[in-house]
Amino acid sequence: MENIHIEGSHTNFFIPTVDFNSETGYCLLEGESFLEDTIEFYDPLIQWLEEFTTEVKNPLTFEIKLTYFNTSTSRSILDLLNIIKDYEEDGGEVLINWYYDEDDIDMEEDIEDYMLDTGLEIEMIPFED
Amino acid sequence: MSATKSVFTRLTGKNIVMSYTGPFDGQVLSMFGKNIEHSISADKKLNKTIFKVFIELAQNVSYYSNEQEQTKKGESSGVGTFIIQNNDDHYNFILGNPIDKKHEIILKDKCDKINSYDRDGLRTFKRELRKLPQGERGTGNIGLVQAALLSRNPLNVSFIEIEKEKSFYIIAVKINKEA
Repeated sequence: MENIHIEGSHTNFFIPTVDFNSETGYCLLEGESFLEDTIEFYDPLIQWLEEFTTEVKNPLTFEIKLTYFNTSTSRSILDLLNIIKDYEEDGGEVLINWYYDEDDIDMEEDIEDYMLDTGLEIEMIPFED
Repeated sequence: MSATKSVFTRLTGKNIVMSYTGPFDGQVLSMFGKNIEHSISADKKLNKTIFKVFIELAQNVSYYSNEQEQTKKGESSGVGTFIIQNNDDHYNFILGNPIDKKHEIILKDKCDKINSYDRDGLRTFKRELRKLPQGERGTGNIGLVQAALLSRNPLNVSFIEIEKEKSFYIIAVKINKEA
């Protein structure tokens, strides 16, 4: 299974940095996410995660360090988290860390709402901007 | 759209710090987004909030304006106009685009519904909308809900008649300087 690496950029749209590693089970989503075609960008990540959780089945550490994502992206994040929830229910070992600016109340609420929607335990890690 | 733009400007013409009229394609959204995020005020947190509101509402113009323009890449993009006003204790983000007159009632109902919720209600409503598949009818609402959540103020909606079957839809969001 191949790894995914996408270097984030801030040109016409805001592309997040992606590092999905199948050997270590470490997945990172970082930066800002506002994309020309959200589905086109996130579909390969969703497929990768489905393959990892159904075939590789190693412990998974999923880290989110997004400082901004639009509501279109928020749907794709929910899709990713739902796959992780299914994996956890099937006995997969899962750790989710979500880093956020300690002053960003909206982001804090978003993470809480994702926990409500998915039933996942998300480690909320505030940082100082 | 020049006649409606002049009405729009006359209604809103004070304390303007940024304005634009034209197609709301990705490049435009990104360019203004970056400007707002980095330079609209000295308050980084406030800039970020205005930027987030801008992206959510401007995307709706791109998708739903009934006046469409071809971009250089041959894609169709909605035409509209926006201004940002700097007032004593708040910024006003005001955005407008032409719509079919029959959509007035739908938009007004959406905004009335959003304005009827408290913060917890809005969060619940957003979660419901987020669960809908991408692109499903009505999912554009989520951007309006997000604008209300971010601004912590009601959405103000009004319409100017352009012609018999066409209106100019205006949505204004107040963003307080002191959170």
